[in-house]
Amino acid sequence: MKLKVYADRMSQPSRAVLIFCKVNRIDYEEIRLDISKGQHLTPEFAEINPMNQLPAIVDGRFKLFESHAILIYLACAFPGVADHWYPADLFKRSKIHSVLDWHHSNLRRGAAVYVMNTTIAHVIGRPSNPQAAAEAEKLLSSSLSKIESIWLKGNGRFLLGGNQPSIADLSLVCELMQLEVLDEKDRMRLLGPHKKVQQWIENTRNAMQPHFDEVHKVLMKVKEKLQNQRLKEANKAGRSDMKKQLISRI
Amino acid sequence: MKLKVYADRMSQPSRAALIFCKVNGIDYEEIRVDISKRQHLTPEFAEINPMQQVPAIVDGRFKLFESHAILIYLACAFPGVADHWYPADVFKRSKIHSVLDWHHSNLRRGPASYVRNTTLAPALGLPLNPQSAAEAEKFLSSSLSKIESVWLKDNGPFLLGGNQPSIADLSLACDILQLEVYLS
Repeated sequence: MKLKVYADRMSQPSRAVLIFCKVNRIDYEEIRLDISKGQHLTPEFAEINPMNQLPAIVDGRFKLFESHAILIYLACAFPGVADHWYPADLFKRSKIHSVLDWHHSNLRRGAAVYVMNTTIAHVIGRPSNPQAAAEAEKLLSSSLSKIESIWLKGNGRFLLGGNQPSIADLSLVCELMQLEVLDEKDRMRLLGPHKKVQQWIENTRNAMQPHFDEVHKVLMKVKEKLQNQRLKEANKAGRSDMKKQLISRI
Repeated sequence: MKLKVYADRMSQPSRAALIFCKVNGIDYEEIRVDISKRQHLTPEFAEINPMQQVPAIVDGRFKLFESHAILIYLACAFPGVADHWYPADVFKRSKIHSVLDWHHSNLRRGPASYVRNTTLAPALGLPLNPQSAAEAEKFLSSSLSKIESVWLKDNGPFLLGGNQPSIADLSLACDILQLEVYLS
């Protein structure tokens, strides 16, 4: 009986789990749930995950949720997963736990709340909270600084000085990809100061191609749609400004 | 060289690490870092933990922070720690990871934020924020309901239907107890 992965590709942690399965050739069935349509809130899905969140997996009779727990389980339960994803060495493994734990209250909270309240809320018809966005931005900036100066300290291509990616790289980079839907000037303002972070994002994407980009297609389509909308609105505003100027000169 | 545990007993995750050491007979030296006196913000402590948070441990040359990572490390690295704290069985262990992960964004966020915005704030020299406190209270209630109906669903005395405590019970209980101290 194949592993089942319940996922929404607009959800950062869902993407991490899907990419991990693909890169490691884990045979699975993807069951798509659309958060924007409330499909994660059904009683049927509550049977799979009583917390009603994505991702969740079902492996035979075993059900599991929380993406970090899932990534660890998959790394341990499936043969052929290379050691660098979740090393057997206790010291290396503990450092990865440290990053994954830190992530929840730092990068995840900052990035997800900021993107939701500046951009995604509008797309899915939910109310946005500008004050939450402002606080989240501060947390996001501070998290990016900490990744730059602490987790990327030293000369490795990946977090913790690693030369190969771990589940920590996968989880955090999937989170950062959500920034793609922001207005380009905001995205550059946030990421611009952090050169190591930008390089590390590229390293991580490259290490997991073509699966990384394939799983991110849905997000990139949303990005494109939003960019077009912003262009349209800018043109409209530009034309109405021009009209006002012309009228004032007549 | 003895394990060093940098802790503030007012910090919930610090207490979890200390209790785990004591219960399991792990030989350690407690180094008290007083958050209210901003001792966690010194450059000396930044050498131990660049995130400047407690708890943190130093075991020989190995430094580690984040209480869940610490609890897991201690359970694995020290002989004589009974299996129920962090079972070797991958299914049981995964469920514990699930609780510990959930904790960060739920129970941990609720009480920590609630207490900070109501009681601790004056002690830390921070302004009171009643709106944040109200939201934190909602979060806290919802987290407690989920523990009641999901994590304590089965018939064991501990989380996940366990008959003996795990590091998940220890971590969450320390957070719940923080409320008792301040709301009594």
